[in-house]
Amino acid sequence: MRRWYQTLDYVTIFLWLTLVVCGLVAIYSTTHGPAAEFLPTSVRQNFYRQSMWLGICSVGIVIALLLPVRFFQNTAYLFYAGSILLLIVALVFGKEINGAKSWLSFGPMSLQVSELAKVGTILGVSQLVASRRGTQSDLRFALTMIVMVLVPAALIVLQNDAGTALVFIGLIPVLLFWSGVPYLVLMLLMAPAVAGYLSVVSMPWAIGFSVLFGLLLWWQTRDRKMGLLGLAAAGGTVAAVSLALLKVLQPHQVARIVSFTDPSAQEFRHGVGFHLVQSLAAIGSGGLTGKGFMQGTQTQGRYVPEQSTDFVFSVIGEEFGFIGAGLVLVLFAFLLVRLIRLGGQMKHPFGMMVAAGAVGVYLIHIIINVGMATAVLPVIGIPLPFISYGGSALLAHTAILAVAISLHMRRDDLSIYGFYT
Amino acid sequence: MIGDSVSGSQSDRARIFSLVVLAVLGLLMVRLVQLQIVNSSEYTGESRDNSMREIRVLPARGTILDRQGTVLVDNQPAFSVRVTPRYFEEESLPLLAELLEVPEAVLAERVQEASKYSSYVPSIVMNGLPFDRLSRLTERLDDLPGVDYEATQKRRYPSPVRASHVLGYVREIAGDDLANGKADGYRPGDLIGQRGIERIYESELRGNLGSDFRLVNVHGQDVSPFRNGVEDVNPVKGRDLVLTIDADLQALAESLFVGKRGAAVALDPNTGEILSLVSKPDFDLDLFTRQISGQEWTGLNASVEKPLFNRATQSVQMPGSTWKPLIAMIALEEGVITPNETVHCPGYHPMGRGRFFRCMHVHGNIAVVEAVQESCNTFFFEMMRRLDVNAFARHARSMGFGEVIDTDLTEQATGLIPDSSYYNRAHGRWTVGYQMNLGVGQGELSVTPLQLARYTAAVATEGKVVTPHLIAASVNPETGTLQAPDVPPPTPLAIRPEFVGLAKEAMRRVMVAGTGRGVQIPGIPSGGKTGTAQNERGRDDSVFIMFAPFDNPQIAVAVSVENAGFGGSAAAPIASLMAEQYLTGQVTRPDIVRWMLQTKSDPMIDKTNGE
Repeated sequence: MRRWYQTLDYVTIFLWLTLVVCGLVAIYSTTHGPAAEFLPTSVRQNFYRQSMWLGICSVGIVIALLLPVRFFQNTAYLFYAGSILLLIVALVFGKEINGAKSWLSFGPMSLQVSELAKVGTILGVSQLVASRRGTQSDLRFALTMIVMVLVPAALIVLQNDAGTALVFIGLIPVLLFWSGVPYLVLMLLMAPAVAGYLSVVSMPWAIGFSVLFGLLLWWQTRDRKMGLLGLAAAGGTVAAVSLALLKVLQPHQVARIVSFTDPSAQEFRHGVGFHLVQSLAAIGSGGLTGKGFMQGTQTQGRYVPEQSTDFVFSVIGEEFGFIGAGLVLVLFAFLLVRLIRLGGQMKHPFGMMVAAGAVGVYLIHIIINVGMATAVLPVIGIPLPFISYGGSALLAHTAILAVAISLHMRRDDLSIYGFYT
Repeated sequence: MIGDSVSGSQSDRARIFSLVVLAVLGLLMVRLVQLQIVNSSEYTGESRDNSMREIRVLPARGTILDRQGTVLVDNQPAFSVRVTPRYFEEESLPLLAELLEVPEAVLAERVQEASKYSSYVPSIVMNGLPFDRLSRLTERLDDLPGVDYEATQKRRYPSPVRASHVLGYVREIAGDDLANGKADGYRPGDLIGQRGIERIYESELRGNLGSDFRLVNVHGQDVSPFRNGVEDVNPVKGRDLVLTIDADLQALAESLFVGKRGAAVALDPNTGEILSLVSKPDFDLDLFTRQISGQEWTGLNASVEKPLFNRATQSVQMPGSTWKPLIAMIALEEGVITPNETVHCPGYHPMGRGRFFRCMHVHGNIAVVEAVQESCNTFFFEMMRRLDVNAFARHARSMGFGEVIDTDLTEQATGLIPDSSYYNRAHGRWTVGYQMNLGVGQGELSVTPLQLARYTAAVATEGKVVTPHLIAASVNPETGTLQAPDVPPPTPLAIRPEFVGLAKEAMRRVMVAGTGRGVQIPGIPSGGKTGTAQNERGRDDSVFIMFAPFDNPQIAVAVSVENAGFGGSAAAPIASLMAEQYLTGQVTRPDIVRWMLQTKSDPMIDKTNGE
């Protein structure tokens, strides 16, 4: 029997801590730079608050490591139900911050329950996968899983926080993939997302993609019907998106969506494109080595809105350049690949799903957040895991990670029953 | 192991999942390369445009020194109030006007002008704010968004020398100057030289603007130096100018002109350096360091005595008898008379049948040197009768009359030297009688005091026509080295030196035994010539030209005093005292000084009010 400290994955903890510290450095630059005197007191305390959250999260990791695997499995549905309950409470009694009614106050602390709901949802879905019996049909199982994800997502949409809800929806293919859904189904699920994105960026590419995707499915399955189905899935999305942009959506909504393709265009620059223009200027002007800690002109001049939260990547890109921003991406790559490996080592559906859920959540956050900061995606306000300022997100993202490494540490305690395929 | 087959497929999925993760992060990395490596310079420009504000750092204006190094003009600290139109609120206009003690309408106009220039750049709305008003303003700055002040400098005149017309003054740039000066970094409220040295040497005196680059935040607030100030450019102080003016001489000359209108010009006859240039009445340069009031300005402009008018270079008058040495030289050179040939003076020139061409005395038979010494009109009427008027004009012009001197004096009058084409134009039919008056420095002839001084210098040096100029050197602010101005070398007169020598000798005799004998410099032989020029507005102008010492002339002076009568009465004593001061460093004739302080020009007849 291996001792617990021999099975604990220190590398993951080290990567987590490094990323949090990167975030703290960026936050410190936004609150303690030469422009600090112009900041409201509440903003100036961001660094200390985030440091405090780091302490809370560290305690949380220790607690999670002390808990047995049975605890997580037994309480998984409870956590899920609790999350749904909190979302409803927030929807009714919650506090509205930045337009999203997803905050609950606990004494001096405000928590964004939509962030915490990620933890409950991943635990709940993981338990669903773990408790799957072979008698259950693929379809019913998959539908149950999708519904389990869509319920909190719908509540979050009602709270007017579409960005966070998008993360839940993005989680669906990840969880489906990891729980063994055929590649083909997955590809059919993924194709509309790609086609939709391309139809915003470039219509010829979108059409080209749809045709190629149909041909690919035809060639893969040797089935003309599958090819047509693929073409319909992708092409239908292209048509739907085009229709939405041209007819259904209001001009300001369209502008919000398409502005990222050319944010510095005259009609966007000072409006919906402002965030992106400034973020690009920050990151681009950082160059290879950056302008130096607390030397970023965009950062210190506060040109990028939300620079300590959603656009924190622009601070790193400007002050630490390609070396700093690239390092963050590399750290994420190590962390995510590491988590996938930990999931594989657990050889138990619950642990694997928690690890995959963690990777899925992080990956979606990274794609959307960095994609937004570098203007390859529209502005969707969600944080960069571990780095953006914000206690709820840090706590939620750390909690998923903590459960994953706790399960991994005690992986020998997990039931040896594997997947019921 | 039970789950082997299953985990086998699961590890495939893990591999695919990892690849997806790496592919996605790799794509984001590619995007970073595109932004931060490939197109970085474009975004660097964007971020600079965003956040960098250039703040001009005004250099200290060059000081102006006299030839001995006495400071005539330097700088003192001052404060300027600035408005940034973009942030300025119109409601705060009355408060600002009250604090600055200027009319609201004036201020509103200045803010308007500033916003026309740029709404984001602070423009000066008031210069030279006194300290008490500044402290009242600073107390209320919080109520005045878009208003600030900067420490600047204003001109100071520490010496007793006024030299108003020589030095000129600085005023706020306006009109064409502003339109043309934009490229050189002038903004509304900036000071620019308006007259005299300050104007001509504006670019030297001003120096080079410096730049402080500041980081401003998204709200336009100043945060810190941009990139720790590595790009800042230090201003380069303007060049100090060393004038040819002798401060002691200038101060003396100015004091001797008390109660008089007129002008004096003193030159170094060998170099053309202007030792003194006086025009009276003058004006107080210090007026212009304050926000000059409309009333004061109108007063200066509208005064019948024209204090802004530089009489030394702009007033044209007949030279009177100071003209006679010139006519003598021309007549000798043109061969219409020889040195020993005499002309008979019966007290008048026969051409005018005793009425038009009168002489002061009956001189009998008189030769050229004595004619200058005795100032015999008849002799010089006769010379002009004999001379071709075009030959006269050619010689007069070669001595610098009838032309503007190409030098560092603006505001020069041309004067008039008539020739045959002039008479044809002016009179159609004309006879030799028209030109005879020219012989005695009257008639259709006008010169400036500066031109007279130049001509005196040419006689003193026996034929060198110099270029009068005001700058002896400019000082390189970085190296401290002196740079001499580019002054053209003297040109020789087209008159034989022996004839110039005769004119010079005649002027010596004027001082020894002629009209100048009362104003000889004790112990220093000199040459001079009095003149009395008709002035259509009242009493004659008193004119005097002089040089000294006779053998090695160091100073040539021309003095003209308006409506003061005979040349020996006002102009000659002033010229003599000036020469003495310059040559010996002191004046030893207190009685003459006292006399001069009491001599006055007749009051000016204001033609608009009738006589």
